[in-house]
This record gives sequence, C-alpha cells and structure tokens, in this order.
Amino acid sequence: MLRYTGKRLLQMVFVLLGVSFIIFCLMEITPGDPARQILGPDASEEAVLAMREELRLDDPFAVRYISYIAGVLHGDFGTSYTTKEPVIHELFARYPTTVLFAVLTVLIASLIGIPLGIISATKQYSWVDSLSTSFAMLGVSIPTFWLGLMLMLLFAVKLEWLPATGFYGPIYWILPAITVGLPASAGIIRMTRSSMLEVVRLDYIRTARAKGQTERKIIYGHALENAMIPVITVVGITFGQSLGGQIVTEQVFAVPGLGKLMVEAINSRNYPVVEGGVLLIAFAYCVINLLVDIIYAYLDPRIKSQYSSSVKKRMKKEAAVHEGES
Amino acid sequence: MKGNHKRSRLLGIWKRFSRSKTAMLGLAVLCIFILLAVFAPLIAPYGYDEQNLREAYQGISMRHLLGTDNLGRDTLSRLIWGSRISLVVGLLAVAIGAAVGGLIGSFAAFYGGRIDSVLMRVVDIMMAIPSMVLAIAICAALGPGLVNTMIAVGFSSVPTYARVVRSAVLTIRQQEYIEAAGAIGSGNWRTIAKHIIPNSLAPIIVQASLGVGNAIQSAASMSFLGLGIQPPTPEWGAMLSTGRQFIRDYPMMVVAPGICIMLVISSLNLLGDGLRDALDPRMKR
Amino acid sequence: MEKILEIKDLGIRFKTDDGIVNAVNGVTLELKKGEVLGLVGETGAGKTTTALAIMRLIQIPPGEIYQGSILFEGREILDMSDKEMQQIRGDKISMIFQDPMTSLNPVRTVGEQIAEVIRLHQKVSAAEAMRKACEMLEMVGIPAERSGEYPHQFSGGMKQRVIIAIALACRPDLLIADEPTTALDVTIQAQVMDLMENLKKEFGTSMILITHDLGVVAEICDKVAIIYAGEILEYGTLEEIYNHTAHPYTQGLFDSVPDLDEDVRRLKPIDGLMPDPTDLPSGCKFAPRCARCTEQCRTMHPDMTVLNGNHGVRCFAALNREG
Repeated sequence: MLRYTGKRLLQMVFVLLGVSFIIFCLMEITPGDPARQILGPDASEEAVLAMREELRLDDPFAVRYISYIAGVLHGDFGTSYTTKEPVIHELFARYPTTVLFAVLTVLIASLIGIPLGIISATKQYSWVDSLSTSFAMLGVSIPTFWLGLMLMLLFAVKLEWLPATGFYGPIYWILPAITVGLPASAGIIRMTRSSMLEVVRLDYIRTARAKGQTERKIIYGHALENAMIPVITVVGITFGQSLGGQIVTEQVFAVPGLGKLMVEAINSRNYPVVEGGVLLIAFAYCVINLLVDIIYAYLDPRIKSQYSSSVKKRMKKEAAVHEGES
Repeated sequence: MKGNHKRSRLLGIWKRFSRSKTAMLGLAVLCIFILLAVFAPLIAPYGYDEQNLREAYQGISMRHLLGTDNLGRDTLSRLIWGSRISLVVGLLAVAIGAAVGGLIGSFAAFYGGRIDSVLMRVVDIMMAIPSMVLAIAICAALGPGLVNTMIAVGFSSVPTYARVVRSAVLTIRQQEYIEAAGAIGSGNWRTIAKHIIPNSLAPIIVQASLGVGNAIQSAASMSFLGLGIQPPTPEWGAMLSTGRQFIRDYPMMVVAPGICIMLVISSLNLLGDGLRDALDPRMKR
Repeated sequence: MEKILEIKDLGIRFKTDDGIVNAVNGVTLELKKGEVLGLVGETGAGKTTTALAIMRLIQIPPGEIYQGSILFEGREILDMSDKEMQQIRGDKISMIFQDPMTSLNPVRTVGEQIAEVIRLHQKVSAAEAMRKACEMLEMVGIPAERSGEYPHQFSGGMKQRVIIAIALACRPDLLIADEPTTALDVTIQAQVMDLMENLKKEFGTSMILITHDLGVVAEICDKVAIIYAGEILEYGTLEEIYNHTAHPYTQGLFDSVPDLDEDVRRLKPIDGLMPDPTDLPSGCKFAPRCARCTEQCRTMHPDMTVLNGNHGVRCFAALNREG
C-alpha cells in the first residue's frame, strides 16, 4: 500500500508539471499585454516597455517556464500583477472559502443523494422512486447558475428570507451551497440507485437470503457495503471538483472563492495567479483522487490486494502450491 | 444478407428505445426544439435583434407572449432564434470533443504499450484541470465568440471521450474476431475502420448524447460569465447574463431562457439514458 | 420412510418483455428422509427454478408461482410467512449454488460468512460462531487459519467448499445442490463429489442434486427424475432409470454420454433444441425432437403413468410398448 501511494505521489508530480505546462502555453498564446492591462490604456509606451522588462515578459518562453518551475519548487509562486502580493497569499486568502463551500456542497449532496438513492433502489418503480429519479434527472439538467438565480429570486428577492450575495456567515452559505449541492446530489442519487440495483441482483445476495438472513440486514448489510464502493468515488470526485472552485456559482452569489479569483485573473491577464490557481486546483484534485483510491482499497479487499504486491506474490505462490496438490 | 442483419438490429434497438416513455418524451421535446431552430425565421414573430425601445421591459402580453427585454426585443423570438445557437454549439462542441478524444482513445487502446501510457498521461493531466477552468482559459486564449466557445467547450471534454473510447476499444480488442481479423492479415487501419469503430460506437453515441447537454450548459455558463458568445447573439446563457441585472423587476428575462436550457438538456439526458438502455439491454433494469 | 419433501403440481412462470416464460409446468416430486434425488435435465429445463421455489427464493415479480404446493416435513412452504421461511432457510433447508465465483460476498471474510449463518440459527456468541465456522472450514478441507481471508484469495474449488461449509454449518435436513461441480475443473469436481457422498453416509442428509451429468447421478443418487421444459418426463430409482429406461428423451440423454465400457465411435446428440418456454408445444413437449413421435404425441399431452413400483413415465410410445 505504501509503495503504491509512493508511486501515485510520483505520478502526481508529473501531472502537476504537465498542468503547469499546458496553462503556461495557453497563457502564452492569449492575446493582450499584461503590462498594458496593469498600467491602463493611458500609460506611455515607455512605461509599458519598462513594465514588460520588470515582469520579464520578453524573455524566451523556455527561460520563463523553467524559472517559474524553479520558483515553485522553492515555494515561490510569483507575484500577482494586480495586487503586487505574493500569489500564494492571494490563493490562501481565498482557499478557505472554497474549501468550506466544497465541504458544504458534498455534505448536502451526500445527505440528499445517498438516502434517496437507496430508497429509490429498494422500492423500485414506487412513487418515491419515480419522484427521486425525476429529481435526479432535473438535477443533472438544470444549469447551476440558473438554479442559483432562481433560488435567489425566490428566497432573497421575493420572500426576503435569505441574503442574496456575499459569504459572511452561515446564513449567507445556504443559497450557494444548495445551488451547487442539489445538482451534485443528482449524480449521487443516480449512482447509488444503479449500484444498489446491480448489487441486489448478484449471486451473493441470494446466498445471504439462502442463509435465512432478514431482508433488512441483506439490504443494509451485504448489499449496501458493496454498493457504496462506487458511490464513494462519485462523492470523492464531487469534492475534488468543488475544491476547484465553483466558478459560476461564486460569480452569481459574489462568493470570494478561488473560482471567482480565477475568472478575474484570466480576464485581467494576471498570469502568475492563473498559473498558481490552476496548480493548486490540480493538486487538490490529485490528492482527493489518491485519497478516494486509498479509501476504496480499504473498502474493497480485492483492490487492496491488487495494490500491495507482497500479498499478490504470496497468493501466486499459494495458488501454485494448491495446483501442485490437486 | 448483411444489410438485413444490420437493419433488424437497428429495428431491435428502436423497438427497445420506443418502449421507454421517458426516452420518447425526450425525443419529442428535442424534436420540437430542432423544428424551432430550423424554422426560426418562419416561427419567430420578431427578429432576434429587432429593437423597439418604446416597448422595453414589457411583461406577458398578446403582442409579446414572453414580454420584452431591456432593449425592447421580443423575448420569445430571441429564445426561438437562440435554439439555433445552443443546438449548434452543443452538437459541434461534442463533435470536436468526440473526434479528438475518440482518436486519442482508440489510438491508445489499439497500439497499447508506450503510446497508450503517454497518451493516457496527457489525458490524466487534462483531467486534473477542471473542465470549466480549461474552457475559460482556452476561450481567453482564442478570444470570445461563437466558434471559439465551441472549440473551448469541445476541447475541455476531450479527456472524457478519450477515456470512454479507450475502454470501449480495449474491450472489443480482446474479443476474438479482432484477433481473427489480424490473422487474415487486415492492416491496422483496416481493422480499426472495419471492426473496432463500428463495434465501439454504442458507448460513444451514449456519451455523446449526454455530452450535448453538458456542452450546451458549459457554453451557456461561459456566455453567462461574459466570456463566450457575445450579445446581440441571442444565446440563452448570454440572455440570462443580461437579464440578471434586471432580475428584481423583470424576472421573466431570467426565467424564460433558463427553462429553455433546462428543457433541452433534460430532453437530451432522457434521450441518452434511453439510448443507453436500448443499445445495451444488459444495462436495463 | 418418512417423506421430507413433497412437491405437487408446481407451476412457475415469469413475466418478461418477450412474453410469459413458462419455467415450471406441473412438477411433482417427492423425497424421503435420507434419500438423494438426482434432478436431471438440460440447461433451461426448470431445474434451478424448482430448487429456488423450495427455498422460496423466486423473485416475485417477475416470477409467479401460479399453482401447486411444496410440503416440507408436512408443512406448506408456499403459505409460510417470511419470518418462518427465514428460520427454515440455512437451518433446515440449505442450498449450494452453481457458480462459486460469484456466490460469496467479496468484502467479507469467509469466516464471517460462515459464522453469519450459524449466528442466525443458533444462540451462540460471535466468538463461538467464529470457532464453529473454523471447524466447518476444516471439515471441507480448508485450514482454519484462512478464515480471515477474503473470497478473492481462494481458488474456485475452495470457494465452492466455503459455500458447502455455509450450507452445512447448521446441519440441514435437506440439502439442495444446484450443479455443484459444473463450474469446477475435473479434479476438483471429484473432491466435491466425495464430500457430498460423505455427507450422505455420515449424516444421512436428504439431498436434491441438480445436474445434467448422468455420471454424477449414478455415483451418488438413489432416485432420479428427468425434467424437460418444466415437466418431469420420467422418474424412478437409479436402477429403473438406468436399466429400464422408458422415455425416449432419457434414452437420448444416455446416448449422448460417452460410455467407457463400450467402444462407441460416435455419440448421438439429441436433435433440435428445447422448445421456447414462451411458446410451448401443446402436445408432448418433447414431440418436436422425438424420433418416435406420432400424431397423438403432437396433439395430446401425455399424463404421468406409473409403470411399476415407483417408476413413472410421461410418454405414449413407452406406454404402448409396455402394453
């Protein structure tokens, strides 16, 4: 398991290198002069040139990329063009909001999605099932920003129960979290339902019935423990994606998270912030993926033994011994 | 003989598909939108940028069934014209994503070994960047506009298609008839074209039908952020973005385009689910 | 001897997209204490459906038991409450399933899975149940130390032995073995059959052995019932079926088995296929494939007729010959 984790961490370094390269290339071909952006349209040509010099924008691509990577390895993500603050400060100023937002999203999505999915599967074709499958269908079809606007229209504008924008305390969190959580729960409902339906048809469920186990313990024991394995992945992916910032929802509710920062940075050609932000998002995504895979291995012994090569070798040896016997 | 067999297979798929009420509902709604898009000039009561400032901010009336916007343009007409944009953007973005991703995926699966691992690492890298961030960055690099939005949305879905196609091709490759084709000396290209592509189409079709919905949603999100399709093009997301400023007093400007987006996407999703069940009866429950 | 199981005129059908599948059409069977009955037929003949009905494991819907009765120790299984049935399953009646690869829960250790059935039916502590589970493992020839391992760490034959251990853990009165050896390779098949024979000798367990392998039947069974298209075509003692074969289908089954004693050059498979269970022939169900089929066979459905003693056959031709 440790070896496997180590291998994955190594892979992660390459993925992050690749990510930074792709973003660097994209920024390279993006039209617009950051120096001009910073100084504004009225600045003189000389001032812009001086700024380009200062930002080292005229160095060759390779030189800039390598010096950027060298900086990152030393923990230096550069300086924001607009605020002159170190990028890392900018990112960490926004990140807690995004993490909080992500946690809320995943909580709402799982608390709605998993129970509804289970009920839907155990009472297939009942009214609860049709209700929750239609809800799931709507959830995957509804554009998030529109759901956000509609919730805002209803709860903030018409009923005036909740604040429309900002992110200053729990009461402000409700609308944005529901906006992202509801559609996310749709995916979890669908996954839980189909996974449960698949598992309850499997032979080992019949074995459990043949033992005289009660239907309740079969569903909430044997079936659930197997059906949850793929659901964990969906929950993990939802969390990983949410950590990337909810670009559109943050825009709708003026939530000062990573997503909003990224859009601002891309629009203002603030390359160091874009680079740093994407790296942070990709890093979080990789870490979550790794965590999900590790949890997966602990839930599913088949996967675990695939990961740990020592067990595999022992298995092979034993299999050989048994074949010799027979 | 072979043609007959193919036809009966298609007939079987259609029979299974048409048995699902929800899938047929999806198909019907989608057809309505396609008809609206095709015959927009005949159906729409007004032009999409026909301004009439004296009639701005109107509510629902006989003259303007869904009211007018801040420039006095008829909302219903703009929505009807907009269905052209959304459907085209969705289809072409998926075509781009599926073509590029499919090529990467089938190459990786077919050649295996080093080519496979290199290509899949590239896909992993693209997967690590949220598709929305990638789409926005691509859009920033190319500049806003209809075509660039399609390219941005299409490219951001490349990794998904690459993975789907790769796993589909891998499954088929293991089956015996590919080995048999190899044995009778079909070249690799011939094998790909004659055996692998036709047999791996099912998962691609399903992914694509669900993907059109996603693409429409991404495109609308980008327009909403002001990065994608620009006004006065009557793109639904862009209409929402404009309407948002007036949400307090003229909510119809926000409600109507959103419902259109939702209807189209859910019809595509219902269709996709139905197709999946029809193409792969084992998956049906 | 006392009857442990009596099935009378059992009828089971399934509603599917392609129509109504008539899986079991009036099966009548009985089994005395300590006997082993071989239920022989081709794939799709209704063997497994009959067995699952005894366990009341038919999924309803799409399944439906539309007629007949199943008496276990004189009590009607079809009328029992779910709770009563749960008490019988795994304790009084156990079943060994066909495919050992998929019949065990992949995320629980084999020890836990054996202990589960013990805890369900016996008032013992968890530790005691686990100790008994280990004993069962030893009994089927698996070292008790492996009780903490997961199914994927076992070979197919060992998994089947684990399933047998689960089935036997509570010393059932009736054991239903559904093709227990089909998924296994030949050497392991022999081991499993040995195990079953021991059971019969040592504990006198009544068994229903479902198989399509007449060789296996000869080894262990006292009685044989031949099932075809959801109907019993012939039944009798091992001797009666093997030496006084009455039904052309049974004869066909024998002809399609290689016989080591005789030097037969060519096996004679039965021509044709089992009829479509959604569209069964109105006369004798075997008529379309039968060499001795007459007009009567096509139009009239033969009844089960007792030839002598326990030997029954459902065939006009066989009756005419007997005279």
